[in-house]
Amino acid sequence: MGDAYKELLGLDLPPERLQEVLAAYADILAEIRKLRALDLTDVHPAIVFEPTAPYRKMP
Amino acid sequence: MSGELWKQPLEKLAPAIRAGKVSPVALTEVCLDRIANAGARLDSFIHVSPHALDAARVAEREIKAGKWRGPLHGIPIGVKDNYLTEDMPTTAGSTAPGLSFPLRDSTAAATLRKAGAVLIGKTRTHEFAWGNVTPPVCNPWDLTRVPSGSSGGSGAAVSAGLCVAALGSDTGGSIRMPAAACGTVGLKATFGRVSRDGIVPHSWSLDHAGPLTRTVADSALMMQVLAGYDAADSACQAQPVPDYSKALDRSVRGLTIGVCRNHFFDNLQEDVEGAVEKAIADLAAAGAQVHELRIPLLEYGLGAIFAIELSSSTAYHDASLRAGRVPYYQPDVRMLVEMGRLVTGPDYLKAEQYRSALMEAYRKVFETVDVVIGPTTPITAWKRGEWTVQIAGKPESVLAASWRFTYPYNLTGLPAISVPCGFDRDGLPIGLQIAGRPFDETTVLRVAHAYERDHDWKDRWPQL
Repeated sequence: MGDAYKELLGLDLPPERLQEVLAAYADILAEIRKLRALDLTDVHPAIVFEPTAPYRKMP
Repeated sequence: MSGELWKQPLEKLAPAIRAGKVSPVALTEVCLDRIANAGARLDSFIHVSPHALDAARVAEREIKAGKWRGPLHGIPIGVKDNYLTEDMPTTAGSTAPGLSFPLRDSTAAATLRKAGAVLIGKTRTHEFAWGNVTPPVCNPWDLTRVPSGSSGGSGAAVSAGLCVAALGSDTGGSIRMPAAACGTVGLKATFGRVSRDGIVPHSWSLDHAGPLTRTVADSALMMQVLAGYDAADSACQAQPVPDYSKALDRSVRGLTIGVCRNHFFDNLQEDVEGAVEKAIADLAAAGAQVHELRIPLLEYGLGAIFAIELSSSTAYHDASLRAGRVPYYQPDVRMLVEMGRLVTGPDYLKAEQYRSALMEAYRKVFETVDVVIGPTTPITAWKRGEWTVQIAGKPESVLAASWRFTYPYNLTGLPAISVPCGFDRDGLPIGLQIAGRPFDETTVLRVAHAYERDHDWKDRWPQL
């Protein structure tokens, strides 16, 4: 399992440290699970791609 | 000018300096002396500028020659240690090996210098602005307690009169929380209002810049200089900058004040609740209409801000993660940076969808009200080393509790100020948060000033 996390997440931690991180993440994950349950299918994320950004005038 | 110089707010110092009644050199010397002596136990500065007195002398010469640059000319201002500065090192609060930050001015630092301000030193930040404790800084009102964070150095320094004003940054409440805990005014302007160029990033779409000051009028004066478009910050917007001081003397009569009864009044310390309810009643007595409302979507905000903040911070620190530097971060920050890898792409984007929905919910609220007010934090400053607080008899982690009321305005990018509204039974300051429509800092400042004017909280000082 440790290797799978390492491959999937790019998180190269010793197994015991990984367990600590996962344990600390549990409460946050519970909040993110609440968010996942919201149906926001028709809501555009608050991200705007701006292709002209590199052409902004720098000071 | 009567009274001790270090107790004078910017709004009084500026005309006195312009008129030659106060010397910028004398004022800077007083601040440097306070940093070294009365304020030494606070440990709020990580670096004191060896150039401050020279800058004050230059300011004094210019003013004497009739070249007054504006209200910040000759005023000693602290700069949070995550703003790059060309003549002072930046650490972002980190001692991890292999990290260095360029010696160049952030846009905010350059703007302050151009306005003639004396950058007196760098105030301590929680490492990478990722926390609410800011070790080793102490709270001026009780040295056994934290100043909150992450702009805890700025909060403590302004509160104790070590500098006239200071810069802070705010990703989940890091200007407003220390302002509340230390009894100062802290303004997080609208996302895009103040340039973040040259501020060490924490979370690109949540990071905001702004001032910590002694009074609301001082906040308006700082904003007048800091606000404006900067192409170097991709989020900056070319919106007109109004005269922030102009509306300050208007009362709240004719304004509608929203009080969001869910989320912002859940699980509060009794003294905080009492002070904020009294503030609402006082504003109503002063002529404001009070409109109670609910924003049910707030229930989902914590997962959203964690998803965005964790993943963004980890992306920023990715090179350090791969280089093995992160184990040298402080334990709490190391944990959060490593944890960010666990947030999935869909979770991140769901959080950004949620933000759109929350912004729309607030837009509808602002069809009816002019500002939304409530407590800045549910708790007052907690003991150093304490990680859990009792609120209404229940334990809650300080990490979860402290930013509960501030982060919605990082998710929405709306302007929000914390202004002192009383003290708890232990003599610790309490903050009142006032949020407004996008780019309507003017109304936020107006309500804050109207409240401040009718109370004497700003005239109380911590005993050091």
